[in-house]
Amino acid sequence: MTVAAGIGYALVALGPSLSLFVSVISRKPFLILTVLSSTLLWLVSLIILSGLWRPFLPLKANVWWPYALLVLSSVCFQEGLRFLFWKVYKRLEDVLDSFADRISRPRLFLTDKLQIALAGGLGHGVAHAVFFCLSLLTPAFGPATFYVDRCSKVPFFLVSAIIALAFVTIHTFSMVIAFEGYAKGNKVDQGIVPVIHLAAGMLTLVNFASEGCVIGVPLLYLVASVTLLHCGKMVWQRLKESRNQSDPSR
Amino acid sequence: MESSSILDSLGVEIIGVMAPVSICMFLVVLLTYSLSVTSDSQIRTAANLIYIENPSDSATVKLEGSLANAIVFVVLVAAVTFVLVLLFYYNFTNFLKHYMRFSAFFVLGTMGGAIFLSIIQHFSIPVDSITCFILLFNFTILGTLSVFSGGIPIVLRQCYMVVMGIVVAAWFTKLPEWTTWFILVALALYDLVAVLAPGGPLKLLVELASSRDEELPAMVYEARPTVSGHQGRNRGSSLRVLVGGGGVSDSGSVELQAVGNHVANQQGRGNSHNLDYNAVAVRDIDSVDGDGNGNGDGVSRSPHERHFASAVSSEHSTEVRVRGNNEIRETETDEEMSPLVELMGWGDNNREEARGLEESDNNVDSLNRGIKLGLGDFIFYSVLVGRAAMYDLMTVYACYLAIISGLGCTLILLSVYNRALPALPISIMLGVVFYFLTRLLMEPFVVGMTTNLMMF
Repeated sequence: MTVAAGIGYALVALGPSLSLFVSVISRKPFLILTVLSSTLLWLVSLIILSGLWRPFLPLKANVWWPYALLVLSSVCFQEGLRFLFWKVYKRLEDVLDSFADRISRPRLFLTDKLQIALAGGLGHGVAHAVFFCLSLLTPAFGPATFYVDRCSKVPFFLVSAIIALAFVTIHTFSMVIAFEGYAKGNKVDQGIVPVIHLAAGMLTLVNFASEGCVIGVPLLYLVASVTLLHCGKMVWQRLKESRNQSDPSR
Repeated sequence: MESSSILDSLGVEIIGVMAPVSICMFLVVLLTYSLSVTSDSQIRTAANLIYIENPSDSATVKLEGSLANAIVFVVLVAAVTFVLVLLFYYNFTNFLKHYMRFSAFFVLGTMGGAIFLSIIQHFSIPVDSITCFILLFNFTILGTLSVFSGGIPIVLRQCYMVVMGIVVAAWFTKLPEWTTWFILVALALYDLVAVLAPGGPLKLLVELASSRDEELPAMVYEARPTVSGHQGRNRGSSLRVLVGGGGVSDSGSVELQAVGNHVANQQGRGNSHNLDYNAVAVRDIDSVDGDGNGNGDGVSRSPHERHFASAVSSEHSTEVRVRGNNEIRETETDEEMSPLVELMGWGDNNREEARGLEESDNNVDSLNRGIKLGLGDFIFYSVLVGRAAMYDLMTVYACYLAIISGLGCTLILLSVYNRALPALPISIMLGVVFYFLTRLLMEPFVVGMTTNLMMF
């Protein structure tokens, strides 16, 4: 039972990304490499952030504003990093295109670019789930479970898995949105990504109130589904455009 | 074919190396997790000859003791490697191969057996001793056979390499903590010196092997493409073109390298015991080639593209028509493949014929080689991850990512420099750094955040 529970929590958090990985990413080795490097980038960002905040830890458990500051700084830092990631990707794309020219293969298709963006986002999302949820799951494999005071109805592992799932979704698809925004110079898409990320981060502050997770988690899922919808709409439009041009878009 | 994007084919070689390493690390982590309760006893190996760590010792004692342990261990490893180089230099190749087989047998039989026993005990699997013994014996014999003989499917050999890596790594994770860290760092440094410095034993070994066109008498994981061989080969070289700016490249390897072009004469020695396997090898290659042609990849490529492929990479194969027997085999042909053409020329002469043909099969086989990774790299990556697993899952993930990215860096460097490179230093250094960063910085941060259900 306990092992089953542990695996269950892990699958709640990572099941969708796992199926995404198996069905889309694992077919193309390059995408796997993208996922790995993006995960590594996220890990590095987390280490840097924790290094910055280490002197102030542990934060007092009953004051909420240091946490808000922490989330704000983290989100800003990670959004900056996302821009860096985009720059690196842009150079990589040029290299890939020139390489494709050299071996007289077609350049990257639109779907390829979208898939790379998806892989990059999945890397971020998986890293989030792994470090914020999975790495704390070890006790869940044991014979007991754990409740936190502020969310006393649901086991801690389950709540963190559910929240992690929302964040995986947000990270994964906001990367696609951001890359498309950068590629087309679309200010709205560029701007909406940090806003989503910040909103999601701030919504977890609701959990700080007693029993706040009852409200916070559904709101978080609202944000996640908005991200998903926006991403889907955008990709649909792009695909339709490129089909109207009737040749693989550049 | 023409319309498929280049994304499909990029990085196959890298994944081909990373996947087994990941599997190995994952299984070692599982093993240490599930067995750490039962086996707490100290072990006595070459790695802690000097000093046996005691949890109650003071930090300085531990530091000095484990430093001494690490130095002794590295000196031992260096000495053994030099002996190996000497033996190889004086052409004791058969002795070396038999020794490797023996050690494979020994490792799988005793260490593997001990691990199986503890698994059986831990999960209380109902199996009687006779069955267990027979199973273990069969398992071990198959592993021993798979080490240096041509007739075994490459997949099996790869599996056994991974298994041996797991077994030895699981054994090494029983070392005390400080000693483990010092030994890992010391080995990484040693690896750097041994492969890169002039006169380093591994460098000597690799150069010797490539100058004689022999296979390295060492435990090496070959990331040779298994099923769709031709596709994989072309894909692999493409990445190298991408990264290395189009330099001519041999089949590269990490740390331990054997260059693909075998000349027929060199293999004559010691081939007698291989003869019976070769028959199997022919069939085996046949089926692989059948797959390759079935895919229609190599066959349908346009000539100029093929020319390009052969220009960028000297990994190639030939059309081998086996006369003498009635069977006609075809493999895909590329232009630049002199050794095999010559070989076919000789093949018509005299009683060399039979052997020549079989060797040509060997050659086709050996030309397909991709990246190679020493078994030691597998082991010590896994030791690091296994050690991290004893602390927390978080450190495991961090170390895994660090090691894999270090391996990726090494592979990229490999395609730039085109020579044997040490695989341990970058990965181990990154792994150690990430372990301590995670443990000291990230853990309190993340735990503090998540227990308040804050995330971002």
